[in-house]
This record gives sequence, structure tokens and C-alpha cells, in this order.
Amino acid sequence: MAEREHRSSTVVLLTHGSKSNQAKPKEDKRSDLISVSPSSALLTSPAMAPSVRATVLLLLLLAASSSSQAAQAAEDGIRVLSAEKRIDLTGPIVKVFLTLKVQNTATGADASHVLIAFTPAEADHLAIVKATRAEGKRKKKTYIPLPVSPADPATAAPNGARLYSISLPTPLKPTDTTTVEVFYVLTHSLEPFPAEITQSESQLVYYRDSAVLLSPYHVQEQGTYVKTPSSRVESFTRVDPTSRSGPDVKYGAYGNQLPYAYSPIILHYENNHAFAVVEELVRKVEISHWGNVQVTEHYKLKHGGAKHKGVFSRLEYQARQSISGASSFKNLLARLPPRVHSVYYRDEIGNISSSHLRSDSYKSELEIEPRYPLFGGWHCTFTIGYGMPLQDFLFESADGRRFANLTFGCPLLNTVVDNLTIKVVLPEGSKSPQAVVPFETEQHLETSYSYLDVVGRTTVVIKKKNVVGEHNVPFQVYYEFSPIFMLAEPLMLVTAVLLFFAACIVYLHTDLSIAKSQASS
Amino acid sequence: MLVLAPAACILSGIALSSAFDVLTRSMKFQLSKLFDDGPAISGNGSPNGSSASTVNTSSSKNEKTEKSEAAPKEKQSKKNRRKDKEVTESVSVKPKKEKRLSVLPLEASIVSTLLLIALGGFYVVHCVWAAAEAYSAPSIVLTSRSREGLHVFDDFREAYAWLSHNTDVDDKVASWWDYGYQTTAMANRTVIVDNNTWNNTHIATVGTAMSSPEKAAWEIFDSLDVKYVLVVFGGLVGYPSDDINKFLWMVRIGGGEFPHIKEPDYLRDGQYRVDAQATPTMLNCLMYKLCYYRFVETDGKGFDRVRGYEIGKKHFKLTHFEEVFTTHHWMVRIYKLKPQKNRIRGKLKKLKSSSKTSSTLAAGRKKNPWQ
Repeated sequence: MAEREHRSSTVVLLTHGSKSNQAKPKEDKRSDLISVSPSSALLTSPAMAPSVRATVLLLLLLAASSSSQAAQAAEDGIRVLSAEKRIDLTGPIVKVFLTLKVQNTATGADASHVLIAFTPAEADHLAIVKATRAEGKRKKKTYIPLPVSPADPATAAPNGARLYSISLPTPLKPTDTTTVEVFYVLTHSLEPFPAEITQSESQLVYYRDSAVLLSPYHVQEQGTYVKTPSSRVESFTRVDPTSRSGPDVKYGAYGNQLPYAYSPIILHYENNHAFAVVEELVRKVEISHWGNVQVTEHYKLKHGGAKHKGVFSRLEYQARQSISGASSFKNLLARLPPRVHSVYYRDEIGNISSSHLRSDSYKSELEIEPRYPLFGGWHCTFTIGYGMPLQDFLFESADGRRFANLTFGCPLLNTVVDNLTIKVVLPEGSKSPQAVVPFETEQHLETSYSYLDVVGRTTVVIKKKNVVGEHNVPFQVYYEFSPIFMLAEPLMLVTAVLLFFAACIVYLHTDLSIAKSQASS
Repeated sequence: MLVLAPAACILSGIALSSAFDVLTRSMKFQLSKLFDDGPAISGNGSPNGSSASTVNTSSSKNEKTEKSEAAPKEKQSKKNRRKDKEVTESVSVKPKKEKRLSVLPLEASIVSTLLLIALGGFYVVHCVWAAAEAYSAPSIVLTSRSREGLHVFDDFREAYAWLSHNTDVDDKVASWWDYGYQTTAMANRTVIVDNNTWNNTHIATVGTAMSSPEKAAWEIFDSLDVKYVLVVFGGLVGYPSDDINKFLWMVRIGGGEFPHIKEPDYLRDGQYRVDAQATPTMLNCLMYKLCYYRFVETDGKGFDRVRGYEIGKKHFKLTHFEEVFTTHHWMVRIYKLKPQKNRIRGKLKKLKSSSKTSSTLAAGRKKNPWQ
């Protein structure tokens, strides 16, 4: 302990508590997804609430550390030989790249999982966690994605830390090493400070994290590299050895950390990137077998950074653009599939004419400008709609069902969506719909009514919270449809017209007069 | 004059219809003469004398143009002569009861029919263009053509959308009554006066506030519980229907109810002016200040494109209002009433100086905040 003298805070040891019967790694192979909800983690320390901020957590950890110093080795026998954490703070969303070189130090058992830990605050704001492993040598390196799922709540972590487990494709033999690369995204983790700024001020935010990696294993060697967008870093916590050069801050090599070691740091830096937050997005995808997929998206957009206070001077905004409204944004870019047609951009009071559409053969880019530039705390709502050709999106699967291959997520780049709802409206007569999404979502079925509907159209409603750009992956909606139902609509129209004509014929040929006319008599 | 449009449409319809009638009948007549014999002709009715001569000339023309049909032409000419006899006979017998049917030469009628159809086609195109250009001005979205194409001024909707999303639901907006319904519908906020204009005193109150100096205007608006004041200003882009041009009505209507607003105070030589020759009352009134606040900083001189001269008072500060939003082309400017800071300081001073409780202040009796 003597070599770890820090200026700000001591290294805190988190303990496992008194549980010694940890579940063996082999028994953890349960393939069902456990939904992550804030209240699901078993808490060893009863005073902790899952949604507390990291600083409060650490104060309590300081108290807890004084009670017990017994550090238990991780139960799977895995040891992290070297860890490198790269934190990208250049945008409104925090992206972290973690490279772990792990070794299985257990003598008898194979390790099939690697656990990673997050603080409760991080786990609440975690949008996506991905893991890959490099296979092959230098030039033939391929990255195989590894499944990541929340760990079994029975594997307790001290003070409410949440564990995620990465399943290795081949179990790690004893004394074998492997390198796992983890990528995760945190949303709403940058706190603007000062919370309110005027038009001519720059936006400064706080970022809270730990200098040493929070891990359930011993970490022999590690370093954390933080990248900020500009070289204006107001302050950062020093945990020796720390160095800073321009926009980069390096929390230098630390050696031999015990499991669940945590050293809180706060970075206060300037971030004028557009903090575009879509509070609610409802996407309706209507599939029509007559050749068109129509997408309608309703957005509620907000500027999620430091709130704007005081005067908004259009003069300053237009004349002195470099210093005025540095953190405001006035346009957004949406990436749409190629071959879109009939794109419209409007809001409740009418069409918004400030938009540009540029398309080429593999994507279309729609650049939209809301009616007014968005400053901190300002809202706006709008609707984007477009149509796409059906042959790009509807396919037949091997078992005879049809499936629509659509893109999940929000087409706006660099935004975070708080509440995403996707409604896939299937044509009338579709049966047994099923949505296959690569990550955790809430789904249910509804019926919507549209033109010429008799029984209604089955709608698959998919909801997800905290959606970022990394969620824009394809997902499939399977359904069964017998082609004879396509005739339903034309037959309805034909029958209606036929009945009308028949009625006309009958009317013209009937004689409804009461008295016989003289010609007939 | 637009009242005559339906009558003109009906008359032109009748004219076109009869023109087509004559032309198609001519063509039918001429063509039947080209191919058929005598009996078929009589079914059309007997042509009159003048047309018979034209028939003769047309047949001669036919001989000249259609050289391939020599034989039928000879027949034609024979028919014509026979017809001439018939015609003259019939004309002499029944001069008045005969229907006068005009028959034109074949090429002339074909060409005329085609021209009339083309005229009809161009008429459709013209109507569509006229409807798009002249009769489709929504007056809330203004457009102007420049070298780069169409320039759209969507400032009104920008301001209403901003009000709708970035103010509280209960905030009240004061503006001149022209924008009342638009504010209610698009911005979804309560207004003080709107296009219904049923309460003249209320409109006069707003007019008086716009014509008064800042302090008095603040008091009036505060008594109406107004939070935002909206003015329309066209001086930067040249939009002529702005509030400075409507200002004379604010003065007149306000002056009609409140005698301290006197119209001559705002006139210089019988004219409303906002340049250096304007009256001091005009240069100090709220409407002037809200419209031209920091306007001089756009071009350095403060040249008003609608009025066509530089403004009178260029550099001034607002004491009771603060600017919260101005649209892209400065057409709509929204200001917020500043809260009463001085009153609180006075309250604290009184509390410190005297040991008595602030019962009178706490009772909420409205005192003049600026004394």
C-alpha cells in the first residue's frame, strides 16, 4: 500500500463480503437474457441505492474499506495482465474503448467468461456494451464479436457495482492468455457546469470516472487515456502518475491493483459539441405489398447541454459567430437509405423549407435545419417522412415466412434518443409476427387501421430507452402472409364499383311511376 | 372587376363552343363533299349564297392543292354548280326562313380547330401559373426571387414555433391585434388582443402601451400580466407591413381612449417620421425602441429599408425589457418584461432600517415599482 500515495484520495478496496461459495463459471452458462433493471442487483451493502452518483458511492466506500481489508481473489481465477482504457470525450456521448489482456490463473478449471464491472451510475447510463476478440496474426487479424450480457445477479459485487459477463468462444485453458476488446457508450454522463451559460460563453462539462479500472479481478498493469475535444481543460483530478498534453490527459501506468479498486477523478473541460438529445422518437414503418415502405418519424428534440440564460441577440449570433452561441447548433444530419423518395420535413404548423437532401448510390443524407437555432434547454418538434422501394427491404426466409429487414435506431447522427418506439405496420392479413432484434427491447402487438382495412393491420411495437448511433443495426420482423390476401383490396374496390353500376342499371330499368303513362297504355 | 370574371368565363365558353361548332361543321361539310355525292350533302342543310361562293373558291383551291384527286374534284365542281342552282333557287324561294349556316374552307377550318385546341391548352397552363404566382400568397411565408433562386422568409412561423416550445404554457404575449389569431393558433399562447377586435378599450390599452415610454409601458403590460411583447419589424429586409407602418393606428386608437396620448406629439410636419427629424416622443416610445434595438449595429448606419432613411435614435439601451428572440431576418422580435429588481432592494433596505415587520409589503399591495 505504501507505493500508492495519492494527492486526492486513497485507493479504496471493495470487498466481496463474506460469501465464499461463488458459482462456478460453468454454471453461469444460461443463455436467457436477463433484463437489466435498476433494482435487480443484489446489494451487499444495505446502505447503497443503485442510482446514487459515483461520488457519494465512493464516500461510502471509504467508510466500508476501513472495516475490512480482506481481498479475495476473483472467483474464476482470471487475472488481468494489462488493461488500457481509452475514453473519448469529444462528443456529447462518452465512448470508452477497453483492451484487457487476461490470463486464467486457476489450476483446474477453464474460464469461459470474463467479467467487467460498472458503477451503478455508469450502469444506468450504459447504452451499449460490445466486446470483440482478435483472431489471427498481424495481417490476418479478424475481430470476432463476443456476446455480452448482464451477469447473473447472484454473483454479488460490493456496493452495488454491476457486472457484465463476456462469453469467450473457446474456454480459456489454465495459464492461457487472451486479449478482449470492450467498447461501451455512456449517455448523459457529462454534466454541464456551470449549469446555465449566456450566449457568449463556452460550455464546460464535468466527467466523472475512476483513474484505476473498476474490475472484479487483479489488474497487474493499467493506464487510462482521456481525449477531450479542445485543449481547454479547466481542471482534472491528479492521481499520480498523471500527465496532460493539450487535449489529452493520461492517467499513467498503475501496477498491481486489487479487485474493485476505484479512484474517483473529475475532469472539467470545454465541450462545445452539439448536445442534441431526442427526448422521444416514434418511428412508424408501414409495409405495403404494392411496392412501398413508408417511414414516418416524429421527433421531440432538445438541446441537452448547459441551459441558456439571459438575452438571445440575433445580432451577436449572426455577426460574431465564433464566440456567440458556441455550444448551440442549427443543423442536424440524418442518414437515410439510398433510393428514398418523397422526403418531407414538417412540424405542427407546416412545412419547414430549410433542408437539403443529397443522395448517392449507397446512402442518402438529409441535412435539416430546425426553424431556429437550438440553445441550451430549448426544444423543438418535427416530423420527417420518406418512402423506400419495397424490394430493398422485404425478403423471404428459408422457412417460407417473409421478413422485413429494417434498421433500428434513429437516423440522426451523433444524437442520443431517450425513448425510442418503432412501430412496424404489417399489411392486412399478416399472421404470427415476430421481431428479432439483436439487443434487449420491449415488444408488444397492436392493431392499426388504415385505408381499406377491415380487420386491421397487425403492428409490432418495439420500445427501447437510451439509444445511440451504435444501435443502428438491421433487425428483422418475420410474418406469414398468403399471397391471396393481396387480392382483398382490389376485390373490395371492384365489388363496390360493380354494385354501384348494378344499382344504376336496376334504377334505370325500373318503372317507379304510380300511374301508367299514356304511351304504354 | 373580379365580379365580371364568371360572366366573362360563360361568354367565352359560349364563343368557343360556337366557334368549334362552325369549324367542325365546315370540316364535316367539306370532307363529305370530298368523298360523298349529292344526297349526303343535303342533310347538312342548304348553304346560303355567300358561302356558296366560298365553296366555289375552296373547291378551286382544292383542285390546286390536291392534285392527286382530279376526278372527284371534277365531280365536286359539278356538284357545286348543281348546288349553286339549288342554292339560288332555295334562297330566292325562302330568303328569311332559311337558317344561315356559315361554312369555311377546309384547310382554314382544320387550322383554326387546331389553333383553338392549342389556345385551350395554353389557357390551362396560364391559369395554373396565375394561380400559383398571383393567387397563392399565404402572407405568412414570404418569398423573393434572387439570382440563387427562391428565397423564403419563414420568420413568422419561426417566431411562433419558438414561442410554442420555449415559453411556459401560461405566458401571455402582447402584440398588435393583427397577429392575435396567428399567435393563438400557432404559438398556442394567450394573447391580449386579437383579430376579433371587439373590445376597443383593450386595443387602445395595448396601443397606448406601445406609444408610451418604456417605464409607463412596462407598468401597463405588468398590470395585464404580460410576459412577452412581440413586434414585427420589416426594416432589415424591406417588408412594408410592419408595426412601424401601423404605428399611426396605435396612436390614434390609443389616443381615442386615453387622452394623454396626443397624435400631434408624434407628428413632424403632419407626418410620422422615425429619422433624425422625428419628435422626441416618437423616438422614446416603446414601439420605436423595441423595433430598432441594436439595429444600427447591423450595417453601422441604421438604414431602414422600408422607410428609406436612417433612423433617428441609434444607440440606446433597454431598461425594462430584454430581448429574448429575434428571427432570422429580424422580422419578428420578442422581448420579455424584466422583473422588478429595485423593489426587492427597497424592501431589504426598509427591513434593515426599521425593526417593524414588513406587514405592509407582505400584504401584496401593488406599489409603483420604479419610485
